[in-house]
Amino acid sequence: MQFWALIIDSFRESIDRKIFWVMLIIELIVGAAMFCLSFEPGKIDILFGVWTVETDYFTALSGLRHDKIATIAVSGVMDVVLGWIGVALAIVATAGFFPSLLERGAIDVLLSKPISRARLFLGKYVGSMAFVLLHAVFFVVLTFLIMGVRWGSWLPGYLLSIPLLVLLFSYIYCISAWAGVRFRSATVAINLSVGMWIIFAGIQGIGNLFETFPEWKKNRLAYNASIVARWIVPKTQDITYLAGKWSGAAVSTELVPEIEEGDRSAMERAGQAELERMSLNPVYTIGSSLVFELVVIAFAIWRFSRNDY
Amino acid sequence: MVALTEMTNWAVDLIDVRKTYAKNIQALRGVNIQVGRGEIFGLLGPNGAGKTTLVKIMMTVVRPTRALGTIMGRPIGHRGKLAKTGYLPENHRFPGYLTGLQLLDYYAALAKVPRASRRATAPKLLDQLGLSKWGDTRIDKYSKGMMQRLGIAQALMNDPELIVLDEPTDGLDPVGRRDVRQLLLELRRAGKTVFLNSHLLSELEMVCDRVAILVEGLVARQGTLSELTEHTVECRITFSGDAQPIRGKLAAMNATVDGDLVVLSGHDSAKVNALIDLLRAQGLLIESVVPHRFSLEDILVEAMGGSTPNPHHREKRVR
Repeated sequence: MQFWALIIDSFRESIDRKIFWVMLIIELIVGAAMFCLSFEPGKIDILFGVWTVETDYFTALSGLRHDKIATIAVSGVMDVVLGWIGVALAIVATAGFFPSLLERGAIDVLLSKPISRARLFLGKYVGSMAFVLLHAVFFVVLTFLIMGVRWGSWLPGYLLSIPLLVLLFSYIYCISAWAGVRFRSATVAINLSVGMWIIFAGIQGIGNLFETFPEWKKNRLAYNASIVARWIVPKTQDITYLAGKWSGAAVSTELVPEIEEGDRSAMERAGQAELERMSLNPVYTIGSSLVFELVVIAFAIWRFSRNDY
Repeated sequence: MVALTEMTNWAVDLIDVRKTYAKNIQALRGVNIQVGRGEIFGLLGPNGAGKTTLVKIMMTVVRPTRALGTIMGRPIGHRGKLAKTGYLPENHRFPGYLTGLQLLDYYAALAKVPRASRRATAPKLLDQLGLSKWGDTRIDKYSKGMMQRLGIAQALMNDPELIVLDEPTDGLDPVGRRDVRQLLLELRRAGKTVFLNSHLLSELEMVCDRVAILVEGLVARQGTLSELTEHTVECRITFSGDAQPIRGKLAAMNATVDGDLVVLSGHDSAKVNALIDLLRAQGLLIESVVPHRFSLEDILVEAMGGSTPNPHHREKRVR
């Protein structure tokens, strides 16, 4: 009963934020844009044939299966719209949840209720996920239906993007929650979580470079440090690869031979690295990231439990 | 053991409550307070005395450095008893995105009140506190007085045995204050215990059975209002004429002269009569004889080390 009350409250707080509706509008615009497009061999129809764009690029793609073209859109949507823009907006929108919870006069009433501080924290934490869950469900189902109805590409695996997106958000949000408890400031929470997100991406990017340029591995110290760091931090980028993989999305290597006729060794290596990333073990990717998240949450709860308000 | 503690008559029995903040700031230095079941208890003291810290310790908002004793027969912070305690903090902030009814339902759910009971109780309380038309209105549209009434309503949603109210009439107009006083009296009639923290001494005088005065983290006085004021009665006699020749005799009777006013400590009628006889023998005209009982404010000021109604009273300090 208590946990559910906290989740419902977080949901109400979510939809009270303007950014919730801004995100909804962005999602509708992206959905509408996808709906207006259709792919034909050698051309793209925009607005149901009002405009037609003919390109060599899509001529080259004509050899691919129809649903593979759809998955290019899936990958782009996942990576950019949800993986970056969506999560960034969600972080901004939810950064104030814990600071507002801890405001003097607000926290007093909550702590006087027969609920432990750990439970209160976790209830609010899980409730904050409702914000992302709502958007993820709305957007993924919307685009899933558009790809199926409009493009004829039904990709059930794409629906797994919903839990993956919530997971991706939670990796960053744990930092925000800890900062909210520690500093009681939404601004500090945003700065810290975004900063850490960039660091996570940087560490993974460096790890990817070692795969793309194997000769770099000769520097054992740097290479081992990158492996350890990569193991510790949440694999935010890998989540989008995982989503792409489970959706059945195409990778660059499927397109490279059609697109590039010249020297494409660098692109092939990048494509190979991309394939390796997509063949990553989900248990490792999700599990090790969850370990990081749990440690941060445990630290935040410890802090929350010790503070006077 | 549990059964024994449950049997105590005290609703609140605080023993040696201490709180030391960072930089060795001692907010509470060993507070002992006892509140009987079914009574309205008032906590008063100057700013910075530690009143709010004490209330927050009782409600587990602040962790004590040391705290013995019980609340409703259980150790301070016992979760089960918190479910039967209502609390209105000072300067509370409620989420503006909720309506009045949603807020009551939310906090009551956190207090483990069953859904059916929440649905039935919330409208009744809103009606009782004059907010029946505002139940479906967002809280950010409420005035300060309405917010205060709503805060009291949320403190009562779980049908508490103990209600802790920190400045409950803050922001209320005179009618609202009277309504709250009536509500407090109704709660007492219903057998509830009310722990009241207010700086409005006149209000405490009107409703409280017992009070404690907190000064610099210690209980300076504690007892019923009559107990606290029994030694703080004086007789004020105004006269016309010159009392200078009998100043020495007046001093011998423990009476002080200030212009045309003579003040005699205590309420011994024989002494009052003797004083009147003395004044009349001097040919002074008695204009008025007024017995005066000190107010709670006088007691508080005295406890704070201000003007002293009765110098002997300091010995009765409760430590």
